[in-house]
Amino acid sequence: MTAIEYLDLLLKALLLAGVYAAMAVGMTVVYGVMKIVNLAHAGFLMLGAYFALEMFQRFHLDPIWGAILAIPAFFLFGMIVHWTLVRWLPKSDTPTLASLLLMFGFWLVLQNMGYLFWGNEDQSILTPLTLSAVHIGESISIPKVNLVVFAAAAVCMVVLQVIFNKTWFGRSMRAEIQNPYAAKIVGVDDERTSRLTFGLGTAFAGFAGALLGMLYSFSPDFGRPFLLRSFVIIVLGGLESVSGVALGAIVLAVLETFSTTIPFPWYHHGWNYYYLPPSYQPVIPFALLVVVLLLLPKGLASLFSRRWKVA
Amino acid sequence: MRILSLRDHFGRALMFGVVFLILCMASAAAQDTITIGVVLPTTGSESKPGLYQKEGIELAIKQINDAGGIMVKSKGKKLKVNEIFYDDSTDSKKSASLAERAMSADNAVAVIGGYSTVLGIAESVMADRYKTPWITTGAGATAIFGKGYQYAFGSLSPVALIGTTSAEFLGAMIDQGKLKKGLKIAMVVENTDHGTDYVTGFTDWSNKHPGYFQIAVNEKFELGATDFSSILQKVKNSHADVFLSDAHLPDYITMHRQYLQNGLHHQMISYGARGPEAAARQALGAGTDYIFAGIWWSNKLPYPQAKKFATDYKAFTGHDVDSWYAAPAYDGMRILAKAIETAGSLDKTAIRDALKKVELKDSVLPGQVLKFSANGQAEYPFVITQNKPDNKVDIVFPKDAATGDPVAPIPNK
Repeated sequence: MTAIEYLDLLLKALLLAGVYAAMAVGMTVVYGVMKIVNLAHAGFLMLGAYFALEMFQRFHLDPIWGAILAIPAFFLFGMIVHWTLVRWLPKSDTPTLASLLLMFGFWLVLQNMGYLFWGNEDQSILTPLTLSAVHIGESISIPKVNLVVFAAAAVCMVVLQVIFNKTWFGRSMRAEIQNPYAAKIVGVDDERTSRLTFGLGTAFAGFAGALLGMLYSFSPDFGRPFLLRSFVIIVLGGLESVSGVALGAIVLAVLETFSTTIPFPWYHHGWNYYYLPPSYQPVIPFALLVVVLLLLPKGLASLFSRRWKVA
Repeated sequence: MRILSLRDHFGRALMFGVVFLILCMASAAAQDTITIGVVLPTTGSESKPGLYQKEGIELAIKQINDAGGIMVKSKGKKLKVNEIFYDDSTDSKKSASLAERAMSADNAVAVIGGYSTVLGIAESVMADRYKTPWITTGAGATAIFGKGYQYAFGSLSPVALIGTTSAEFLGAMIDQGKLKKGLKIAMVVENTDHGTDYVTGFTDWSNKHPGYFQIAVNEKFELGATDFSSILQKVKNSHADVFLSDAHLPDYITMHRQYLQNGLHHQMISYGARGPEAAARQALGAGTDYIFAGIWWSNKLPYPQAKKFATDYKAFTGHDVDSWYAAPAYDGMRILAKAIETAGSLDKTAIRDALKKVELKDSVLPGQVLKFSANGQAEYPFVITQNKPDNKVDIVFPKDAATGDPVAPIPNK
């Protein structure tokens, strides 16, 4: 492969990282504040994709607008889910079995409701952007839809950073993440913060789902492969760090993309070069998960200065 | 202890009598019908093909029962078919246990089921264990039929034959001068028995016909992959003439979307058994034009019985038969009925022996004859379809079933 072709792959990996970051960030904020491993995140992603599809089919609304509209709709939905289900969970500093079971059960409910409403046919959103790409020379092609999705994801991450740093709600969230007991002492309303956080996490999941719906076909089972990647990204990113999520997403996307194209030298009766078969690509997230949990339990962000941590 | 009165004794005797009568009636009713177990997914990720297969089986059962049933010589009369249906929810463990239940507790004389390969493999072990004929109408991988099972049958032609037929089709295009000999092939298949069988079928034909093809890329990918950029880069670098893949529908859509976004073009493109699905055409529009596929059945087949099946299916279900799933299920039930009639009894081993010999000579499947080979699997030719502009699909191979001419090489837009 030539240097230009590697550059093409690097650009694609960065665009993929944008998608990964958007889908993982909602799960991170919920974990950070509430210590809930939100398995229903995959269900919210699926609903986000169908939300964009319904907007597209019924109201001929561009899926990007569908994704933007998904933010308030899913924020409200998340707050309702919190009020009806999540707030009854026992408070804890670590993830509890009760929260895992509740969110897993809720995911199954969402999935089956999806089958009930939309059937199991694969759905897609086809817009003029879907198949077009920006071509630079003969070797570099950047899909326009991936560019749009990357830009939308990047804007959302920046907005989240601003919320974290500049608003009362953001400061409450950071206080809850750092020390929930101290936060209570200084007057943070933990119930309200939790409710808003769950709404925000769900809003991000709905937004990411709508963006993913522009890139992939989907059915009510949609979200399962992304859930595993979200886990890996938030573990890489340090479980409670939003900037870490971006870093984790880049590391995962680059490793996945390049793992099958970079030769590994191997000495056996002289130097040989071995390529990882593409069918082994799913091993990458699992291997990363194990390595990071063993060597860097606080994530990649812990390698850098504390200033990196916004939360 | 309370002493029972005469009234109590009478009441109990009456209750036992009623229960005995009900059991006798149920037993008599059971003997007057032929119980067939059907285990398919009608919920979960495979619910759509599972439902289509169920409809195909139930159409056949309705037609058999409307004609008075199946003649069973040992009973001296025609018996109607009684279907016991179980939804396995696309869960392989559930699929196996439901097949077991149908074979043991329900004492079905035969069980039909197993869509797709994964569920079929799970069910297949039960057939020999309970010595009950089992026909899979939705699993065609060698992983089932290479194990020497004596009671397992399948109405789908082997997956390897998709690869073979695809090679044969491309070979015919070379012979006709539409494509040049020595085509460089890039093969990217799913990492499953299905994908492995496809490659085996293609390379077998290629090895027997040297000079036609050279394999430039032979890679596998994991099911449900989200990013194919590195694998497509390898395809691009190989400068292959033909791109062949074997993929499930979601992977076909994702991979072909990225294929188009990367500006790739080949003289011919195939995704194995996928190609004409409405979901893919909706997802990618004209991007799916000219893709060819090797499929088990098409509603374009010119046989009168295939056309009648399509009409009956629509009348029975209220919707068109727009995919291949229902046809092998329909014929799976019909060949079972014929085997029961040939066996002349409801003895499971006798039905198994009959299934090994029987032929369905008015089959709706390609070749028009359905029979099982020595390993229990049907072996009939595939048809090659090619997507044409404006959502049209033509059968383009073999020639005697063709409804349109193949476009080769495909135009570069």
